[in-house]
Amino acid sequence: MKKINKSIGILLLAMLMVSCENRLEVIPEDNVASNTVFNSFATINGAVVGTYSKNQSGDLNGMAQLISEFMSDNVNFVGSFPSLQEIDQYQTLATNTSIDNVWIDGYELIGAANNVIVNLPEVTDVSNLTEENKRVFVAEMKFLRALTYFQLVNLFAQPFQFSGGTNFGVPIITQPFGGGDISEFQLERSTVNEVHSFIEQDLLEAIADLPEDNGVRAEAGSARALLARLYLYREQWQNAADYANQIISSGEYSLAADYDFYDANSTSSEHVFVVVNTPTDGPQEANGSDETYTNFFNPAPGGRGDAPFTQDLIDEFANEPGDRRFDELSQAASDAGGNNTFFTTKYPDITNNASDGMVLRVTEMLLIRAEANLRGGLSIGGTPLDDINLLRTRAGLTTLVSVDLDDILLERRKELCFEGHRRMDLLRNNLNLRPGGGSESAPGANKVIFPIVDDEITNNPNITQNPGNF
Amino acid sequence: MKLRRLFGSMVLLLLCVITVRAQEKTITGTVTDQNGLPLPGVNIVVVGTNTGTQTDFDGNYSIKASVGQFLLYSYIGQRDERRTVGSNSIIDVDMSEDAEALDEVVVVGYGGQEERKIIQNVGIVKEEAIENLQVVSADQLLQGQTAGTQIVNASGVLGSAAVIRIRGVNSINSGSQPLIVIDGVPITDNINTFNSGGNTGINPLSYVNPNDIATLTILKDAGATSIYGARGANGVILITTKKGKRNSRTTVTFDMNTQFSESTDAPDILTADEFRSFKAEVASIQQGTTVTPESLGLGSIGSGGTDWLGGVQRTGISQNYNLGVRGGSEKTSFFFGLDYQDLEGFVIGNNLERAGARLNLDTNVNDWLKVGMNLGVTNTRLNRISVENSINAPFTTAFLQSPIVSAFDDEGNFAQSGSFIPNIFARVALDTRELKTFRVIGNVFTEVSFLPGFTWRSEFGIDRLESDEFIRNAEFNTPGGSASSLKATDERWLTNQILTYSDQYGDSHNLTVLLGLNYEESLQARLNIQGTGFLSDDLRNLGSSSTPTINEGFRNPTRYYGLFSRVTYDYQGKYLVEGSVRRDGSSRFGANNRFGYFWSGAVGWTLSEEPFVKNLDFFDFLSLRASLGTVGNDRLGTFPSLGLFSAGAIADYNGESGVIPAQPENPDIKWEESETLDIGLKSTFLNGRISFNTSYFKKKTSDLLLNQVLPPLTGFSAISRNIGVMENTGWEFELNTINVRTTDFQWNTSINLTTIDNKVLQLNEDAATDAQGRRIIDGAIQRAIEGESLNNFFLIRYQGVNPQTGDAEWLDINGNPTTNPGTGDRVVTGSPLPDFSGGMTNTFKYKNFDLSVLMNYSYGNDVVIDGLRFADGNDALGGIVNIRRQNLNFWRQPGDQAFLPSPTSSTFNLFNQRSTVQQLDASYLRVKNVTLGYNMPKAILDKLGNTLTGLRFYATAINLFTLKADEMDGIDPEVTDDIDPLFQGESFFTAPQAKSYLIGARLQF
Repeated sequence: MKKINKSIGILLLAMLMVSCENRLEVIPEDNVASNTVFNSFATINGAVVGTYSKNQSGDLNGMAQLISEFMSDNVNFVGSFPSLQEIDQYQTLATNTSIDNVWIDGYELIGAANNVIVNLPEVTDVSNLTEENKRVFVAEMKFLRALTYFQLVNLFAQPFQFSGGTNFGVPIITQPFGGGDISEFQLERSTVNEVHSFIEQDLLEAIADLPEDNGVRAEAGSARALLARLYLYREQWQNAADYANQIISSGEYSLAADYDFYDANSTSSEHVFVVVNTPTDGPQEANGSDETYTNFFNPAPGGRGDAPFTQDLIDEFANEPGDRRFDELSQAASDAGGNNTFFTTKYPDITNNASDGMVLRVTEMLLIRAEANLRGGLSIGGTPLDDINLLRTRAGLTTLVSVDLDDILLERRKELCFEGHRRMDLLRNNLNLRPGGGSESAPGANKVIFPIVDDEITNNPNITQNPGNF
Repeated sequence: MKLRRLFGSMVLLLLCVITVRAQEKTITGTVTDQNGLPLPGVNIVVVGTNTGTQTDFDGNYSIKASVGQFLLYSYIGQRDERRTVGSNSIIDVDMSEDAEALDEVVVVGYGGQEERKIIQNVGIVKEEAIENLQVVSADQLLQGQTAGTQIVNASGVLGSAAVIRIRGVNSINSGSQPLIVIDGVPITDNINTFNSGGNTGINPLSYVNPNDIATLTILKDAGATSIYGARGANGVILITTKKGKRNSRTTVTFDMNTQFSESTDAPDILTADEFRSFKAEVASIQQGTTVTPESLGLGSIGSGGTDWLGGVQRTGISQNYNLGVRGGSEKTSFFFGLDYQDLEGFVIGNNLERAGARLNLDTNVNDWLKVGMNLGVTNTRLNRISVENSINAPFTTAFLQSPIVSAFDDEGNFAQSGSFIPNIFARVALDTRELKTFRVIGNVFTEVSFLPGFTWRSEFGIDRLESDEFIRNAEFNTPGGSASSLKATDERWLTNQILTYSDQYGDSHNLTVLLGLNYEESLQARLNIQGTGFLSDDLRNLGSSSTPTINEGFRNPTRYYGLFSRVTYDYQGKYLVEGSVRRDGSSRFGANNRFGYFWSGAVGWTLSEEPFVKNLDFFDFLSLRASLGTVGNDRLGTFPSLGLFSAGAIADYNGESGVIPAQPENPDIKWEESETLDIGLKSTFLNGRISFNTSYFKKKTSDLLLNQVLPPLTGFSAISRNIGVMENTGWEFELNTINVRTTDFQWNTSINLTTIDNKVLQLNEDAATDAQGRRIIDGAIQRAIEGESLNNFFLIRYQGVNPQTGDAEWLDINGNPTTNPGTGDRVVTGSPLPDFSGGMTNTFKYKNFDLSVLMNYSYGNDVVIDGLRFADGNDALGGIVNIRRQNLNFWRQPGDQAFLPSPTSSTFNLFNQRSTVQQLDASYLRVKNVTLGYNMPKAILDKLGNTLTGLRFYATAINLFTLKADEMDGIDPEVTDDIDPLFQGESFFTAPQAKSYLIGARLQF
């Protein structure tokens, strides 16, 4: 009996020892190993979708817009985040966590896009994957990459107007990181001109390969519209007006009759490119995009009540009563500091934190065409006066008989407020960010742009910090 | 004939015996110790029966027994005595101190060893040290008890985890919590699933009924821990639950108590009117004209407000009931435990209900087979609150909420606060946040003795924790309402196969060889669903929501396989050697490093067995030991080695699934390895009145997993690599003395003290560097510096308000005063690591009274209370938040010794920036637990009838008194809001520890 026990025991032990060894290889259930991503059409498409998802990041589409609005004169920031207060007071330090996230998320998106742009063309023998699919996927990634570089260069570098684009922009990364040598990712910043021309090239290539209609994903018009904005910022009036005009006259897009395109209406003809946030896509990270928009731009309860209208913006709207862009797109409420003021309703879904991010819409194209035509002495596609009156009519205002640059910028402000344009519009027109603002908020001041973030400075010996006490 | 007569007399004899047996009589007597002093509490049993008793305080006893039966006298530390019941009804017994008192078998890794022969460094918490400690959670049993073990309760919030460190921090990124093993089952302690403000999670030990615990062994050096291989580097805590004793009377213990809890301390903040006056006065000075509170929108003086801080606190009333049944026959012994706790925290909304049961049973099937099981089941229901730095954390929000905000409107309904800081009363009252857990920890075992000296023990164990958190936010707090259900399962099953050979050769050579196999599978799974859009608050469940917003989950499997061996040899108990080796494989390790080998060697010399020490006639026991070995830390995450893309909510877009890069590949990743040298001395002298133990250790941990921070341009924030090297060195001292030992009065003291010196020897080559070129890991508050400690508070030095100018002044990097410091002016300003820490226990016994006073202390450490950036100064959060009372003392005129600078100073709003203003001295001495007990004398119990064998009344005060620096007024020094080693000693507004008073009774029959 004992002997049998013993032999069974020894046998069991031996079996156990062999089988245990083999069981240590465990396959993850919640992730895809990187070497299998390009093995199927579904995961390749997934890698493209994942990059769009990254573009939903609150830091790229949410925080960046919020910051642009309160650094300028549209939003009176009353919130409690010290990192945002720092920016609000033009005291941004390199250690600021809010800008850190913008920088990091930006390059994460660029890395995800590079992964597709570099690796997909080499992929063969995947069923259902055509060369056409591959070109479109790569073109979509180039659009998102261009959008992100443009966002970064606008925030972290002085605009083109500062020194004709010869000042430092941001580093240009074109390769995905594979886990090995990091020295290829410790690059010095390229100049603003170099970054702009990289963006221009990406967009031109994207225009060539993208379909005219691609649902809510990037389409040729999206790339053209972004290019129009780039040319506007670079004061290349002819190109700006031309590309804006291509959108307006494309037939794909048209001015919406109403202001009902702000949420859950991504198919509105108004949109050239929109970040679609849905209730089910969850927080992308601690500060999901939708959360940033709804949290900050809405009053309590539901929102934080941190980002109401400035008095200046309220006054501007009050100057011309009956503006639907105020009457229909604002609500009276008390802010986080307990003051009675107004909040935008452009991001209304506080229940699900699922308001869409406005990126490119046809209204902006009209404004670009008007400004570029006016400043370039051109008349591509229409006159500035007609373009502006089109917007004013929609807003329920009387038409003007003539327009100058101030009129266009004011219309631009009222139309695009809370969408993240204001800071650049002021800086590129050499206007102080704050009404009656001092030297700290003047164009060219050190802290109207962000410092290169501390994480980059400490881990990249080749990079140059912006001037200023960071 | 002869035969018949013989037979006859035998029958007669037998009859006599039978009659004699039947003649039960009462035996009385006195039991004394070797000094002739009466010995109370001696266990006396009639062998082979259930009859038993204890001596009373005077050493007297009385027991019913029959002639011919044996009485067994036993008392811890004394040699067992046996007496046969004869004609005499009085049996006095002189017990003698067991020279082999240290022969008690102590639980060590995968086995037991005689205490005197242990040459591993283990801390032992025996049953008698903890049986009278009334604690809520098992980790509190360890507090202050043994050297080298530091336990910081994260907060006074019920269910929050304690930070447990054995010999300091041995890892930077992979977790420094020790491995906790309950009756052979390593328990899971994943914490991140249920964080609730702060990074501390749920207490893994809150699932063990402290009353079920018999002993705790803390394995400290490599000699003790290397048998746990890749999991031993942070030390191991072995918890043994109570077992029955063979041949003992069944005893039933019933304990019940009631506890009253309040907060130890809370900051003094402004009332509504003080707030109004402060804001108005500041504004008046700044604007140079009289400003009224009304004009600031604060309402007039006397227009009411809310005492938020008072409102979130209460006196919590808690009940504990505990039942233990313990006994054993010749072949079987058992322990059965049942407990019920209904706890009420001192913060509103925080309640914990726990019901648990335990059954430990073992039986000898025959002379070669023993089988048994240990099984504990716990069910808890916790009403959770956020602990820290969250608008849902009552303590945080109550500090910050403006006192002028009304909690209720005129009709007495909850009022909206009007800012993002919510009406916390409404949140707590209307929202539901309930965490239910069910946990089973247990194992079954068989023990086969198949050849002389050989034992094969086979164990199968399980640890399964099911957690289910339900959150329902009401319409008032969350428009549309929202609900979430978070279910997490942590399960582990394992088997241990252990073959032991133990033999004695001649009288002198003792050898034990142990060979073992350990295989474990664990799975951490989580499912989180959230929905919004409820028609009414009455629709409670998730299914009633209109929009599902979050649908997220994961499954993290880990497998683990180890082979191990230990060989122990001693010569006459005088010269001892031991060696162990373990080979561990884990699914977590990279393909290139799947298996690791860990080893240790130890030697010991019992000097007190040597004639030249014996001749001194001074030492009762004296030994020296040393060990050297390696251990590992496998807390690397589930799949740290694979290049991964994530899917799910993080990668989907507009309803379409996607994947996104999550982690770069790293096939070389492996365990962190610690090499420990440990040298120790153990001694007992003056007839056992003084014992003194000390040890020195040097623990060098290499291959530390460091997040090599990647340049963000890579698109990844960091990659984990085994690069770092860190060293902890330290001394441990334990001194136990019997100060007074007379008939009526006894006073024992035990003190322990630990020093730990931490030094980071190597960080990654491409780590950030400081001005001196040293590599660093930088945080907003702390900085790890190569060549220095892992934890250095690295802040701008605040000097105070200049009495002449009214400006706040800091020091720049060169030590010159400045009114506009920058991040470049940060220097090392303090450390969260104490110079030394430990505990002290005094126990007094006077007649039937006993008093024990347990204190713990920590010296030389600092804390940074980050929340003071908000609670001090005028402008935090746009100036809407409440502030501490000392802020009323702002500079008004030259000569003022002010707390705040002048309102007109450029530094007025810079004052509360991060600096040493928030760094406070956290040295403390805390009277942790004071228990006064009264044991009813046996004489009275007898009068009450024969049912009760013991009756004890007790009163306990927990955290009765704390000696701390003045600047800590209102702040608990024993706080941390993060178990991450890089953030220790940091807190935002963690709720302080509870101060509790408890009265109870324990009945035994």
